[in-house]
Amino acid sequence: MTILKTDEITMKFGGLTAVKEFNLGINKGEIVALIGPNGAGKTTAFNMITGVYRPTEGKIKFDGEDITGIKPHDITKGGMARTFQNIRLFKDLSVLDNVFIANHLHLKSNIAEATWGKIQPILASPLSVFKSEKSSFLNKLLSRETNYQREEREVNERAHMLLEKVGLVDLKDEKASSLSYGLQRKLEIARALATNPKVLLLDEPAAGMNPKETNDLTEFIREIREDFDLTIFLIEHHMQVVMDISDRIYVLDHGETIAEGDPYDIQNNDRVIQAYLGVAEDA
Amino acid sequence: MKKRNVILNIFSVIILLLFIWYADKNFDSYKIRVLNLCAIYVILGLSMNLINGFTGLFSLGHAGFMAVGAYTTALLTMSPAAKAQTFFLEPIISPLDKITLPFFIALIMGGILSGLVAFLIGAPTLRLKGDYLAIATLGFSEIIRIIFTNTQTITNGPLGLKSIPNSTNLWWSYGMMLFTLAFIIALIKSSYGKAFKAIREDEIAAESMGINLFKHKSMAFVIGAFFAGIGGGLLGNLLGAINPNMFRSILTFNVLLIIVLGGMGSITGTVLSAFVVTAGLEYLRFLDETINLGFIKIPGVAGLRMVVFSALLMIVVIFFRNGLMGNNEFDWDKFFNFFQRKSLRKKEAQES
Repeated sequence: MTILKTDEITMKFGGLTAVKEFNLGINKGEIVALIGPNGAGKTTAFNMITGVYRPTEGKIKFDGEDITGIKPHDITKGGMARTFQNIRLFKDLSVLDNVFIANHLHLKSNIAEATWGKIQPILASPLSVFKSEKSSFLNKLLSRETNYQREEREVNERAHMLLEKVGLVDLKDEKASSLSYGLQRKLEIARALATNPKVLLLDEPAAGMNPKETNDLTEFIREIREDFDLTIFLIEHHMQVVMDISDRIYVLDHGETIAEGDPYDIQNNDRVIQAYLGVAEDA
Repeated sequence: MKKRNVILNIFSVIILLLFIWYADKNFDSYKIRVLNLCAIYVILGLSMNLINGFTGLFSLGHAGFMAVGAYTTALLTMSPAAKAQTFFLEPIISPLDKITLPFFIALIMGGILSGLVAFLIGAPTLRLKGDYLAIATLGFSEIIRIIFTNTQTITNGPLGLKSIPNSTNLWWSYGMMLFTLAFIIALIKSSYGKAFKAIREDEIAAESMGINLFKHKSMAFVIGAFFAGIGGGLLGNLLGAINPNMFRSILTFNVLLIIVLGGMGSITGTVLSAFVVTAGLEYLRFLDETINLGFIKIPGVAGLRMVVFSALLMIVVIFFRNGLMGNNEFDWDKFFNFFQRKSLRKKEAQES
């Protein structure tokens, strides 16, 4: 079953065509990679799919619905999450808050209920000191768990679960910017997972990682696909990672799709080799 | 919450109330006015910090929102006789001339109207970012002032309103201050507050995490304007007379000074610096008058006390980039830890 499909999407910036007639089809549960030399238009394709750019031409279908031109936050709500090439965490906020915020879109309480949910314990605190046995009206009003408080408790539990999954639970109160590079990447993935996605888009997850971290990452991506029932679409330069985990690969060069197929086909495709290594002069 | 902290909280509120009670009875009217102003500037600072410090919107429209709140509250609390006397050039338009509402309701109406104006202004301007938003909101704030200067039959134009009942007293201003404080703290700690902070940290990432940027920015903007309106209403009914020229952009910059000094994104910092700046501006009044140092006589220069604050602001911006408190908040645990560590260090020093 195709979960994500693009139909001839094209992105033009003035006279420059960054991506031309890109056709993508991803089936549920697949891991698909998008590769290509620098400036090939990979991130532009990502930005079109996630709604950051509106494609100049073409249509994008996600889970049976046309999402062309829809705002990024609505696309995320529909079940697509992403990470960024240059990590974009909420730097000054704690690790836990980073994941907590990604749950905000599923919150049902409105702003008044949320504020009351936080004022109530302040008002109730004097009562806890002067403990009265009488269950007066005031006592009931102030000690009952509100809907918002229940939601917040559930979100906190879920955030803890996700942080445990990525091994960051001990660092949950640290500032996000104080984490090491590899951990920041993991936190970004955890944050994306917190939005409860069906499709996860990873923009160069292995960038700047050492060989050990890269191996861990490959394992980690496989693991989360199983655990969260995900479909994964990733951009990556690290060929070992790409060949290792992808079911299928798309290759872009100068905005055009020059090849698509399984890792073996791509490794033996002449146009791909030309795009990466150039043409031999005496050929 | 720890039991000790709860007791300390209750204790501090009781001390504050006792102090207000004492001040209300014994202080002269000048000191009471300064204390009132401090509380009002806390409200204004908190409301601006919500927009600028927590949500990261560089908005300079505060004077406009205050004007809306001040005029609404004043017009709704003035007696029909006072209105007839004030509007001697052209009479005030029909329903307004008879209405007189209790102070609290008028104050809330002022806040709501100010929030409504913010909602209308926000629709076009909140799509802008950074400096562009600052210029647009500054412009709108001036537009509000100019509209108020020209609507003779509603606001009495440049003549302004006089004999507004002096309803603002210490109880009202400090009551509203505590309410604002509790509301903003709760809001900031809630999921919505965290979403606001996420927008401040990184708009693109926030949007990708499913946060509706426009909706959340509007919410912060409207709530900030609501409290700015309440602050303006308290100010108008404290001073007893208002006119459009009071609400020039310099008023916005006074509030901005408070939140920058205190720390953008710190509630504790805003409260502290609102008191320091407001009381300081009064205390430094002697600088504006002729100073006799015995051997030399410095003639009075009006506005010299503002120079002190300009210098202070420069020092803060250069040496304490994030203001006095940065992003930090006061809490009892930190407070006691600080003293414990200090005494521990002393002990260690003595032992070695």
